[in-house]
Amino acid sequence: MRRSSLFVVIVAIACAPALAHAQTGDVPSSAIMAAPQVQPEAVAALEKMSAYLRSLKQFGLHADTTIDLVMEDGQKLEFPGTLDYKVRSPNGLYIGMKSDRKERELYYDGKTLTVYGPRNKLYAQTPAPPTIAGLLALAEDKYGIELPLADLFLWGTARAPVSSLRSAAYVGPARIDGSVTDQYAFRQDGVDWQIWIEAGDKPLPRRMVITTTDDAAQPQYASTLRWNTNAAIRDGDFAFTPPKDAHRIELVAAQEVSP
Amino acid sequence: MRHAAAKHRASKRHAPPHANPWRNTIAIGAGIGLLAGAVALLAVTSDAHAGPRARGGARTSVNHAGAGGHAVAPSRSANTNVNRNTQVNRSTNVSRNTSIDVHNDIDIDVDNGWHHGWYDDHPVATAAAVTTAVAVTAAVGSIVNSVPPSCVTTVVNGIAYQQCGSTWYQPQYAGTAVQYIVVNPPN
Repeated sequence: MRRSSLFVVIVAIACAPALAHAQTGDVPSSAIMAAPQVQPEAVAALEKMSAYLRSLKQFGLHADTTIDLVMEDGQKLEFPGTLDYKVRSPNGLYIGMKSDRKERELYYDGKTLTVYGPRNKLYAQTPAPPTIAGLLALAEDKYGIELPLADLFLWGTARAPVSSLRSAAYVGPARIDGSVTDQYAFRQDGVDWQIWIEAGDKPLPRRMVITTTDDAAQPQYASTLRWNTNAAIRDGDFAFTPPKDAHRIELVAAQEVSP
Repeated sequence: MRHAAAKHRASKRHAPPHANPWRNTIAIGAGIGLLAGAVALLAVTSDAHAGPRARGGARTSVNHAGAGGHAVAPSRSANTNVNRNTQVNRSTNVSRNTSIDVHNDIDIDVDNGWHHGWYDDHPVATAAAVTTAVAVTAAVGSIVNSVPPSCVTTVVNGIAYQQCGSTWYQPQYAGTAVQYIVVNPPN
């Protein structure tokens, strides 16, 4: 008898929340009230910028960047660096990355991807797809190389659908490097991001801040971009010629690396 | 790749797919020292268990180029904690770590673990079974993210090695980070 009483009590306790919920009978209203707002004007600005980026046949780009690393105790540390891009659609790409402690260059000429360390004098090469889009996919999927600011090549393509925007808002005008821009704020799964788009007939992204939201510490990657849409681009910019004292090594696929 | 991703997540010591393996970069301590000065460096690195270690970092792109949704980090980090001894030996050499102009990959490119993908050179050996100094015990096929400073670059038949006593390492790029795999001595 005692046992069955106890059983009833336990069942009652276990069911209480469900019963209570059933009695109220409605969906929590917060889910509806918190529905993100996607402002059409913000989406339109993003699409306009994307279309302009896709229309560029070639460009040079310098970016000053900072990245947050999250320590195991949750503290964030910031590290500065620079990026230099030279791009010629559809199959020429150079990236130079510098920090105080590491330098890397990446060359792509439509046939070969080269990773080179100007300081360590080590380079690796692998056959590459015929387009920058294919290269980016290969680099990410096979080699685990997520190119910084890959968005520049993905906006306006199926890889960056506006349907993935959970929130889009116009923040207001702002000045970046002396240029008038418009600041926008977007939210997607895993990232909040802001972009400053140049006002006028060259809607280029001039600054970008990406906040990684699926890490509780919310580390940020910030970049200020200086464009040269009239840059002189030569074939030689994308072809790697190893210095005499450089050594070739292997580029290993990500899945082969793990011991 | 998906397999690798799953494997990545399965391991407790691993970072999430796009957070990458800097959690193991205990020579962030060396980086801190670089920023804060030699005294701080000594303070941080004199204790192998002290000093911040990165567990993740910011994404550098909103969207993904690959089919997998998230980039798979080059799986360079197994369990770096096993090899702290090496860290101690190397990082106590203050002059190396505080000199930015040293044209030596072991110093510049490998010694300082930080940054996502492009910058995440690891300072500490990650060999699966290494429990003491790399140069002494590394087994063929083991992979480490750095080699002791006493190693010398040796080119045999056009291939660059790092020779550390009787142990030979062949450098390779995992993503944009250099790692070293232990190989049999070349003929």
